[in-house]
Parts: sequence; structure tokens; C-alpha cells
Amino acid sequence: MKAEEILEKVIEAMEDPVLREGLRRGVNASVPAVIRALTTWPNLTELADYVRKRKEEVLKNIDYYINETLKSIEERAKAKAYFASSREDVLRTVDSILGDGKKIIVKAKSMVTEEVMLREHLAERGHEVYETDLGELMIQIAKDKPMHVIAPAVHLTRERAVDILKSAGVEVTKDMKHEEIVSRVRTFLRDKFMRADIGISGANSIAADTGAIFLVFNEGNISLATTLPLVHIAVVSIEKIMPTTMDAFAQTLVQSGYAGLFPPTYIYMIAGPSSTADIEYHRVYGVHGPKELHVILYDGGRKNALNDQVLREQLFCVKCGRCEFACPIWNVSGNIWGGKVYGGPLGLAWTAITEGIERAAPLSMLCLLDGACREVCPMSIDIPKIARYLKNRYVRESRK
Amino acid sequence: MNLLAYNYKEIFFQQAKKQKNVFMLPESQITGIDMPLPMIDVLEMIADNTKRRGCPVPISEKDAYGWTEGLNIPHDGETVLFTGLLYQLTPHIDSLVKYLDSLEKSSIATLAMKLGRVAGKVIDVTKIASPPKHRVEEQNNILRNIAMLLMKSGVSFGYIYGDDMYSGVLLYDLGMEDEFEKHAEKVYKRLKEIGVKRIITIDPHTTHIMRKVYPNFIDSYDIDVKNYLEILSEKGIKGRGLKKEVTIHDPCLYARYENITEQPRKLLESIGIEVKEPENSKTMTFCCGGPIESLSPKLSKGIASHRMNELTKAGKEIVTMCPICYSSLIRVKPEDVRMEDISQYLAEGFLGGVE
Repeated sequence: MKAEEILEKVIEAMEDPVLREGLRRGVNASVPAVIRALTTWPNLTELADYVRKRKEEVLKNIDYYINETLKSIEERAKAKAYFASSREDVLRTVDSILGDGKKIIVKAKSMVTEEVMLREHLAERGHEVYETDLGELMIQIAKDKPMHVIAPAVHLTRERAVDILKSAGVEVTKDMKHEEIVSRVRTFLRDKFMRADIGISGANSIAADTGAIFLVFNEGNISLATTLPLVHIAVVSIEKIMPTTMDAFAQTLVQSGYAGLFPPTYIYMIAGPSSTADIEYHRVYGVHGPKELHVILYDGGRKNALNDQVLREQLFCVKCGRCEFACPIWNVSGNIWGGKVYGGPLGLAWTAITEGIERAAPLSMLCLLDGACREVCPMSIDIPKIARYLKNRYVRESRK
Repeated sequence: MNLLAYNYKEIFFQQAKKQKNVFMLPESQITGIDMPLPMIDVLEMIADNTKRRGCPVPISEKDAYGWTEGLNIPHDGETVLFTGLLYQLTPHIDSLVKYLDSLEKSSIATLAMKLGRVAGKVIDVTKIASPPKHRVEEQNNILRNIAMLLMKSGVSFGYIYGDDMYSGVLLYDLGMEDEFEKHAEKVYKRLKEIGVKRIITIDPHTTHIMRKVYPNFIDSYDIDVKNYLEILSEKGIKGRGLKKEVTIHDPCLYARYENITEQPRKLLESIGIEVKEPENSKTMTFCCGGPIESLSPKLSKGIASHRMNELTKAGKEIVTMCPICYSSLIRVKPEDVRMEDISQYLAEGFLGGVE
């Protein structure tokens, strides 16, 4: 896509009053919430510096940490570990875990599964798939794209939400208040949770020393989606690896703090399938939770990006989405300014890493280099530097 | 002497007709479609102008250096006032933006894009109108005031006239680092030739480029860069009380790249001005939209409106510190809002109402 086409889409978004209003509400709610969190719990800032250092340790020795993590998943967490380099690897692995027959699948919101378009793939193969995060559920039904890394449906109004939910069979009407809409969604999804064969999630972090994964959420959906079905599959990108369990926990605190959702309602640690040995010390798997846990470590261009001194910086990103709320271009257009999955300032390099530089370079031409993104980033990622790098690439290529 | 002068419509239609399988609407029917500009053509125009003329848009010597008339600033010195021509260029860039805005609204640009770049240059610099006299005079006033403020503070400095050169900031910001590097080398070489050791800069972009960016491109860069707001604030000159309230708009470059946020506030407060903070200020300031003006006047305006909204919520009188911010925000300024460059207030307070 050329930069002009992106510009055209961004301007179109800017002139859409409904979208603008949605974005405005998101910004007005989130920006002060982050500041509140950081002033009330100032140790979050220190923790962010600590997390950056620990991530540097992992990125410097990525192969070692991938191996350690895979080993820990198998030996300590007693789960199945897989390494997937590409989208195809992930899909093939998931397909083989699912086996024959049509399954009912409940999903936690996960950007990595968006990257590999897992939901679309599973639906195509005839499985029944439900996103269980309310925002993401609406994105799924509307066949839309997440407009923010944390708040995917930030751009939808109540009226639009009703239309979308109704079209999928949720019993809602236009005159319903927010509370009632949510309660109807609860009824709708509760049935899916109970019937689901498989739960699929991402992870906010994963510990190399135990293989434990951490999930941050507020709705309560993720505990149900990863506990009720007999099989849980987690797809985790390799930059989420942290050296220790404490480090992995620290990362989730930093992410939620800088997302303005602190303390998050739930942080869930999963370090293996559910089991009991209460009868004669005989270990039985799958008590109230899953019998099987499968963890897929996914590369998807990240190892490659480690060799690029500029793009490498983005691998520190904890995906809190604060840079999006701070960005003037995002403020007028949301993730319309972005690649297939990632938008806004963080979307420049993430698009380059996951979709290729040629997809990201034209996006960068719209960047103002105003630096608000860098200012608010918990990992101090120099996003303007990344944008300059991509601009130069674009201009050089376009002149050929 | 306009080397980029093309009769673009003529060339465009001639060449387009030569191409086979291209469906052409009669020229008269191609109007009213709002489409983006062919970006690379705009960039080439800026690069070409900077290479040939030293500036991204044409500017006469009079418009560039005429402001010094009657000031008798010494012609040389190790410490020089270095405007980087940004204040002077702004009215000319405004005219370019106006012209691009009209192109953005026409379809010529779109067709050229769709046909590839067979049509040659779409941007025609001869179509850029010369800026209105009052805008040029406005900038000259600002420059004169800044020079007089520095004199009043007791700093001795010279001005190097024709060697006060454009920094190349647009090349750097628009992704043309190869050209930027060449330009920077040229500027630096000349400054060293004439014995410049220290420069006093007056806008955020030139300050940042000369202080933090040139050293990345030029080995053993050794020019000391100080901004005039830093100097005035250090000198602590005495002024009179103005008893006013103004809302401050921090330029991104000062606030986030050059650590200049307290100095302007201190200066304004020392002349009795109460500084009102808008929703996003200091290091959390919000962009004026200026950086995208040459690629999309429309998007630039959208962001400027967003910022203007935040500013006017805090007050009806706004102070800017950057010529680019000023011209971006003035495009969307409501009638009942007053907006001035900081130097105008400082001149009023410290020089006793000069101009």
C-alpha cells in the first residue's frame, strides 16, 4: 500500500464523527487513569525500569531463553511445549491438538492470535469460535479490526454495540442501558463457556524458570475460558519471555499500570494442567480445570527483528497501548493508521516485525515525530527514531 | 530562475495521452474529487529546492535578511545569531501549503498517481503565490524583537547575513537523510570557514537540529548551540508588569527534545504574565499538526483543530514559541482568540513596547 492510500483512509477516519467521538471518550478515560495509577503507585515507574533490564537480558540471549522456557513448560509445568516460527506452524500445531471433529472454542483476547488470524482459521475449518472479551466479541461479529491494543472496541458507541451484538443473537435492544447489555452478554457467553471443548488464550508474560504464563484481565472471562474447557491452548510470542516468575509477574503489573487499569481485577498464573493426588497420591489430571495445557511459543518475525538495531527496540514493548492514546494521529484515526493488526505508534514497528518493513514503511510517512509516544512509553522506546528509519526506507524505495 | 517550473497540466495531458489503454476523462470533468497529494513528488520538490537554493521553498534575499535593516548588528563574530531562516520561511511555506491544499482538492494529483509518475512533476513552484506582505512583516518584527532582546540582555553577538542558512530540517523529518547529510555538511563547512564558534538559535526546530542532530551526522562537530530563551532566562533581565493571562502552547521539540519548558514560563512570569496551562502541556504537550502540512494540509488542519480546542478551553489568548506552530494554529484560530509569538510579549515587557 502506498502512503497516499493510507493517508486517504486516515482522513476518512478523521472525518467520521462516530469514530472520533469513540476515540475521544477512550482518551479522556484512559489518559488520566494512567496518570492516577502512576502517581498513586509511584513504584510502578521503578518497576518499569526493572522490567526493561530483565527484558534486555532475554533479548540478548533469546535462543537460550526460548530453550529454557520450552524445557520448563514440559518438565516443570507438565504441559506440552511447541515452538512455532511462522503463522503456518501455529495453525498446524493448533489443528493437530484439536484433532478431528468440530469443536466449540472460547477465546481470550490476544493480539498474537490476531496476528496469525487464528479465529478466522478455526472458523473456516468449521469450528464454533467465540471471543469472550466483550470488546473483542464485538470486533469478531462486526469483522472489524481492534482499534486499540487494550481497548479493541474503543471506537464503538452503545447504539452500534447493540446493533452488532444483536446480529449475533445476543438478546439486546436499543433502549437497554449499559448494565443490561452486559448482563445479556453474560447470559449469551455463559452457555458457550459451559459447552466449550477448548479454551484458547495468549499470555501477557511467560516465565523461563517455571514455564508459568500470566494473564491480565478485568471481565473475568479469561479464568472461565482457560479453566472450564478440558483443553487449554496458549499462544505466546517470544518477546513475552521473562527470566523468572517474579519478573513475569512484574511485567504484568507494569503493563496494566501503564494501561491505566491498575490494579487489574485479575492476574491469573497458569503453571500446568489442573490435577489432584488426593486419592492415594495417585496423580490425576483435569479436575475442575483443563486436563491438557499446550503452550505454543511463537516467533513470527521477532528473532529476525533482533538483528535490526532499530526495530529491535520494539521488542521491549509490553503493549500497554499508552502511546496510542498520546499520539495525535491516533487521536484522529485510531488503528486505521496501522497494519493488519497493530496501529498507532506501536503499530509502526510491530507491523514491520510481523508483516514486513514494506508494509510498515508507508505508515511512517504520516508520523509527526512529535515524540509524545516516547514520552509516555514505560520502556522508553524511541518510536520517533523507528519512524525516521522507516520513512527513509519508504522514500528510498519509492524513488527507485 | 525557477528551475522547477513546469507547465504541469500540459505535460501531464500530453504524456497521459501517449500512454495506451489509459482512459482519460475530458479535463473539464476532472474536478471535485478530494484526493491525497503524490507524496514523493512533494518530497522531490522540497529536496530539489533545498539542493539548488538552500531552502525548501524559494525565498528572496530581502525576505530572508531584510529584517536586519537599521539594527546595525556586527557582520561577524564567534558568537552569532543563527535564525536558520525558519521564521522567514514560514510565510512562504504557508503559501506552499495553500497551493498544495488546492492540489489536494483537485484531481490532477490523483490521476498522476494512478498513472504512475509518467506525468513528470505535478508540483509547480511557480504556482506558489508570494506570501502576503503583512505576514512577512510580522516575521520581521519577531526577528527584530528577538535581536533587540538579546542586545538588551547584554549578550554580544554578530549576524552573518547570507551565511545564516536553513538547517535542512524538512529533509531530515521527511525521510531524506542522504540529502540532509549533504546539506548539513555544506552548512557546517561554511560556518567553520567564517569562524563561527557559538550560535544563538531562536526556534525549536533549528535549535534541535543544530544541537542534537548535526553531531550525529558530522564528525567532531564543535559548534556550541544556545537558544535565546535559555539565554534570556539565565541573564535575568528586568522588565515591566503587563498584567495579562496567556495560555501557553509548548512546541514538541522544545518540550520533549530540548528540555525547554521552564524558561519561557519564567520569562513570561517575570513580566507579570500569568501563564495558563492547557490540558496537555510541558513534556505532555500535543502537536500543532505542522509536521504533516506539506504532505497533507487537510490532516494537518485536523490535528491543529484538535489542539486549538484544548488551548481555547484554557484561555482566549495563546502564546506560541515556534513559527510552524504559529502558522498551523492560525489556520484554525477562532476569531475571538488572540495568538502571539512569545517574543512579542517579551519585547513588550522588556523593551517597553517596541513595535
